[in-house]
Amino acid sequence: MRTTRRQFLKWSGMAAVGTVAFIGCDIRGEELLVESPSTMPEDLVSGLEAWYATLCAQCGAGEGVIVRVIGGRAIKIEGNPYHPVSGGKSFARCQAGLQALYNPDRLRGPLRRVGDRRSELTGISWEEALADLTKRLADASPGSVVLVTGPQRGTLGKVVQGFGSTYGAQHLVHEPMEQTVLRAAIKQVFGLDQLPVFDLARADYVLNFGADFLSTWLSPVFYNRAYGEFRQGDRPRGTLVQVEPRFSLTAANADRWLYIDPGKEGVLALSLAYVLLADHQGQINRRAAEDMTGGQGASYLEAFAPEKVAQELGVGWDAGKVRALAEEFAGHRRSLAIGGGPAGSHTNGLFNLKAIYSLNYLVGNVGREGGILFNPAPPLKDVPASAPGATLADWQRLVDRMRAGQVRLLLVHGSNPAYGLPAQLGFAAALEQVPQVVSCSSFMDETAALADLVLPDHVYLEAWGDDIPEPGPGYQTVTLQQPVVHPFKPGRDDPGTRAFGDVLLDVAKRLGGKAAEALPWKDMREAVRDTARQLHALGRGSVSAGDFEVFWNTLLQWGGWWDEKAVGPSVPGVPPRFDRDAVRPEFEGRPEEFPFYLVPFASHSLADGSGANLPWLQATPDPLTTAVWHTWAEVHPEDARRLGLKEGDELVVETPAGSVRRVLARPHPAAAPGVIAIPTGQGHTVYGDFPVGLGLKRYFSVVGRDRGANVFSILAPKRERETGALAWGATRVRIAKTGEWIRLSKFEGVVTPMFPKEVIPLARLSGEKRGS
Amino acid sequence: MVTPRRDRKWQFVVDMDRCSGCQACVVACQAENNIPINSEAQFNQHRAVEWIRIERYWEGEFPNVKARFLPVLCQQCGNAPCEPVCPVYATYHNNEGLNVQVYNRCVGTRYCQNNCPYHIRFFNFWEPVWPESLRNQLNPDVTVRSRGIMEKCTFCVQRIRRAELDAARTGKPVGERGSEQEVGLQPACVQACPTGTLVFGDLNDPEHFPTLAKLVKHERRFRLLESLGTEPNVVYLKKVDLEAKEEVHGA
Repeated sequence: MRTTRRQFLKWSGMAAVGTVAFIGCDIRGEELLVESPSTMPEDLVSGLEAWYATLCAQCGAGEGVIVRVIGGRAIKIEGNPYHPVSGGKSFARCQAGLQALYNPDRLRGPLRRVGDRRSELTGISWEEALADLTKRLADASPGSVVLVTGPQRGTLGKVVQGFGSTYGAQHLVHEPMEQTVLRAAIKQVFGLDQLPVFDLARADYVLNFGADFLSTWLSPVFYNRAYGEFRQGDRPRGTLVQVEPRFSLTAANADRWLYIDPGKEGVLALSLAYVLLADHQGQINRRAAEDMTGGQGASYLEAFAPEKVAQELGVGWDAGKVRALAEEFAGHRRSLAIGGGPAGSHTNGLFNLKAIYSLNYLVGNVGREGGILFNPAPPLKDVPASAPGATLADWQRLVDRMRAGQVRLLLVHGSNPAYGLPAQLGFAAALEQVPQVVSCSSFMDETAALADLVLPDHVYLEAWGDDIPEPGPGYQTVTLQQPVVHPFKPGRDDPGTRAFGDVLLDVAKRLGGKAAEALPWKDMREAVRDTARQLHALGRGSVSAGDFEVFWNTLLQWGGWWDEKAVGPSVPGVPPRFDRDAVRPEFEGRPEEFPFYLVPFASHSLADGSGANLPWLQATPDPLTTAVWHTWAEVHPEDARRLGLKEGDELVVETPAGSVRRVLARPHPAAAPGVIAIPTGQGHTVYGDFPVGLGLKRYFSVVGRDRGANVFSILAPKRERETGALAWGATRVRIAKTGEWIRLSKFEGVVTPMFPKEVIPLARLSGEKRGS
Repeated sequence: MVTPRRDRKWQFVVDMDRCSGCQACVVACQAENNIPINSEAQFNQHRAVEWIRIERYWEGEFPNVKARFLPVLCQQCGNAPCEPVCPVYATYHNNEGLNVQVYNRCVGTRYCQNNCPYHIRFFNFWEPVWPESLRNQLNPDVTVRSRGIMEKCTFCVQRIRRAELDAARTGKPVGERGSEQEVGLQPACVQACPTGTLVFGDLNDPEHFPTLAKLVKHERRFRLLESLGTEPNVVYLKKVDLEAKEEVHGA
């Protein structure tokens, strides 16, 4: 029988072997014409997904995230919508955690050096590695052992501190862009030992001295969320004014950016205070004004009258501008002054920040919505909620002890001091004098490369833990961390990694004695469960259940515990007096020899350098220069013209403390004259070593190692006057061309911009949306 | 199984007054959509792939300098210039307002890229490769495009389909946030965006996408290159500038 087309269609329809086209009777005719018979990409939906709530350990803000897992693979990270810090939102760095998990350079197991530091690191089993570490610790005298960790809070912080104190080792916390000065300022101005919440979302007017809260400062996801509300929330649109020597991302988003010479922020703040006291008495908090001036009023700050100090603030400043700024600040109902970043990075950092934060008392917004809110005491007494970094003075003492041979064993985790400390401090060289260096890094980094024993840690997506976000969201919060996938092993026979907490607990058990007593848990999961039991016992907060197992499972499901009712204190006490003795910044390097100020800044994507081995972050354009994969120096166009610099000229950047190459000139329309700004993050010598790219081998880029320059390495080890913290903005530089030209890879130019004449549609503020 | 379809019209709103230029959307999109890693050479050759990008504009000179950020993604034009030029119907218009690219039809003529005024189509000049271990992260819902194929933003069509299947399975409607009562739907960039700049939804369903319905009619509204008559499905809200002398209208 000959089959006609018509008959075939009829049969196939009856037998229901037809394609989508036959079953989907409700698809419209016109679509059918185009879509059939192939299956459209939009129709493809595959396997089952599972979402696990855990902690994002990429930037240290303690945000909760949820991870999408399909077939045992972590596929995507999103913000945890219920978490008070992240609110369902995430940042480029949160997203890139997956590339840390599946990084080709992850260490595959413990490593040990057989001979001296020149010999190779060779693989050993975990049993050998743990026995070795135990033996080393048992043989050493506890006073000669030093623990160096990142800012570790929560249960792991408790384990590390417990281990350090019972064993008797010294414990130093390494925070590359340390917040020491900020903490000290908050403590002295508000009398509270914590990082507060700046209620940006409900403020009308924000005067921000250098805190780059939209990029890297404190808790960027939290503040970006607040920024969106500040602009177009339910309240009138807020006004943001940024005072900063560099045009940071926050400055770029401000309604006005006011350049100020580095280190002069405190003088400006006191000058504003003077104008508020003298001319705006009706608008300020009189009682605070009396307390802060000892009843003397404006005359107390006579030395800071705008006419006397305006000329030292830098280009563009005069007395009228200071007065106008003070008038704006006083004229809004909810004004907020924030300070951080470069303002605290000078030898007079504490003076600057104290002066800035004191302004908040004058406008009466301390402990009030739209102002500064305080975080409550942490919910659990013995779980650390804060891990302040060691100061430069502490590091100097450590290096001295290392040089003197007093440190016999150095255990490093979650930090990379050989990269992040100023090179002139000599930490890396002093490591030569330490007979035993143990690293617990997941990756080979500058410090691990100098270690004798490496016990690779899990990546955070594979480990148990918890965190108490600092700064908190204004109420008690604990973020829970659970493994979302099995620990990743590239090869079947690899010994694999082990969580740092588990290593410490295991070693404590082997050592016995007090350490074993203080750390009784079998592993980190047990330790975290113990913390959860204490939360359970509180009987309040977002998770409540009679039975602990139910509580525990709910805790894991929600990604943490928070109690919106447990808010901080509202009245922090009597404001301190203003510092009436101006402290001017001091710089390393004479202006004649080193004509430029150096403003180092945390790279938006690579941060302190820990993101440098993640390809997505290397390829994320810097928001302002759109540069990728490189280190660049932002130079004022006129300075560039004078020095004959064009974009891509390789520079030697020299400070009194050393010099680096492989910094590419980038004439920058918003760079200030006489200021060179250089991002951190690159210039690794060993961190990351795998090629990515498409097509020909020469089109590939090696991720991590040997690209750009490490600006930390050329910082002079200057100290902040009172706190002893590293004054990372107190170095002067000179720059010179090497004669080489390297193309500065950047997103700019990849596509033709939508508005090639750089005229972008703007709206004026209509009447009803304008603030008071 | 074919699920009954609502009459959808997917729309985006980009509120430039909220955008901080933080690039979270860019990386979120690359993670979701299996976009090859952009090496230096790809930037240098002007072949870097970013389905959503942040354009940065300068205004003025130091010290009165301003930077503006403009997120640009496929505008899913109602009258798309890329569609009629495709000789093989690889790019077509579906009845939900989406401008869809069928990868297995594409023969790589690049006519569509040439014709797109928004420069949001990207061509795979090479076979995409990832280091072996990084392949573990690839999203199984999204095709890895091979050499010779054009690709672009899909409004995360895989998420739309998954949400609709979940909706059909659970009997709940699809909505902007997701809750006990509705199945959440957000493209990757919208979900990441910490400032709330990006808003996505179904214009025909204001009940479940109220934010979009409210913003789409906003007084600051404009569309990119509107004069070309492409009828974009992405609505932009102008940035507010206190010193804007007069309102500058879109090109």
